[in-house]
Amino acid sequence: MNDKKIVITGLSCISALGLDLNTNWDNMLNGKSGVNKITLFDPKDLMTQIAAQVPKDFELLSEEKIKKRTLTQMTRATKMCYLCAADAIEMSSINLDLYDKTRCSVILGVVNTGKLDNDPKNKIIKGMNNAMSAWLSIKYKFEGPNYTIATACSSSAYAIASGYDLIKNNLADLVIVGGADSTINPEEILGFNELYALSTNNKNPQKASCPFSKDRDGFVIGEGAGILILESEESAKKRDVNIYAELCGYSLTTECYNIMAPMENGEGMAKTMEMALKKTNLTINDIDYINAHGTSTELNDKFETQAIKKVFGDQAYKIPVSSTKSMIGHTIGAAGAIESIVTVLSVYHDIITPTINYDNKDPELDLDYVPNKSKAHNINFAISNSFAFGGHNASLIFKKYKN
Amino acid sequence: MGIIKAGTRDEVKKTVISFFSEECEVNESKISEETNVIKDLEGDSLMFLELLEIFKKKYGLDFELKTIGKYVVKHPVQTIKDIIDMTILIIQHENNINDLA
Repeated sequence: MNDKKIVITGLSCISALGLDLNTNWDNMLNGKSGVNKITLFDPKDLMTQIAAQVPKDFELLSEEKIKKRTLTQMTRATKMCYLCAADAIEMSSINLDLYDKTRCSVILGVVNTGKLDNDPKNKIIKGMNNAMSAWLSIKYKFEGPNYTIATACSSSAYAIASGYDLIKNNLADLVIVGGADSTINPEEILGFNELYALSTNNKNPQKASCPFSKDRDGFVIGEGAGILILESEESAKKRDVNIYAELCGYSLTTECYNIMAPMENGEGMAKTMEMALKKTNLTINDIDYINAHGTSTELNDKFETQAIKKVFGDQAYKIPVSSTKSMIGHTIGAAGAIESIVTVLSVYHDIITPTINYDNKDPELDLDYVPNKSKAHNINFAISNSFAFGGHNASLIFKKYKN
Repeated sequence: MGIIKAGTRDEVKKTVISFFSEECEVNESKISEETNVIKDLEGDSLMFLELLEIFKKKYGLDFELKTIGKYVVKHPVQTIKDIIDMTILIIQHENNINDLA
């Protein structure tokens, strides 16, 4: 493998905690919860009546920033993706005219584009899984590889890995990566309820997502988007732009075990982290922070903890592990990207966002989960984990960028 | 078969430009007959179909979109002028437009 470095020069996210990066980051540092009673529809007949919906100003923002006709051809998730990408592009200060557009790509993680209404008008355009990446290519005239990856909850982590490969293998100079998701609708919630995957803590929504704690009773469904701009270090340096972190490698594995449950004792998760360390020539002593998949489900949090202990041994107790999902719920297709963004910012600012609602310790889970309050911590290398239904695992490793 | 009167082309042109101005959020003064719908206005191919529905009602025309579609495959429309000229042909020939090809 060549020594080309892949760096992040732009990033943005939309979640229940805000419609832009800074608002999200501030709210996360302050340990706020974005979970509330569902207002997108009347949830009274459902077991789960809570979710992490993006702020209601989102629709107004969309109307302000997206052309009227284009809006009618997009789902809520596609709009989130489109707005988020515009912010990330702006942040990266790219002069798109200077790029060879055949070497500019878009790779997104998309599980689906969201609930479609019964109106046949634009139904196909709205519903096609490649709509988000296609819209971005049309907007920015990126003529390079453009595709969508669907690996459930790890989709956008896979997209980031795929973008890394395109640049590393000299197939692209610049790649928009990330994902978006908005599946807060009765059908999805019913479906997840049938699997007993969702929290039913309807009485106390803000406390419902409590990864790694004894009280956890399932994940809280969220919505949002996360977009990162990846480019080669050479390309970024040429235009003297701020570099937020280096994506120094990743591991993608498949458990081949169960369509829903992770492998016993977190074996598959452990293998993924081990392979990521191996691929990046790092040791267990190099990792300073793990942004966990941390869903707040019984099995994930138990197995992820076991996996971290298996890989890092006694060192596991010295590595802070936190769950972004405690604050913004599980954004499914967007989760890998949003959590990568949080990891990048943690590496950049040397501060770790907390796992909120960590009030009752589960005796089996005994790592440092950064309970309830963010903490300053020197971070050179950090892992972002994503583990999906179907056994699609991803561990991405980010490194502090040094000139 | 419709009859083209003296002012019909101007009327069609006005409707076409007004439609694209509204849908693409572009000032009418920026749209000319040479304007390319996709490249210059970031429009899409569905817009022509929507326009046809408007003209169908406006002039009480009798045609099947499928029939027009066959003609458009052979004679693609890209500019505002293309759309105006095609509309005039449709008004004149309606479902018989493919007899021209």
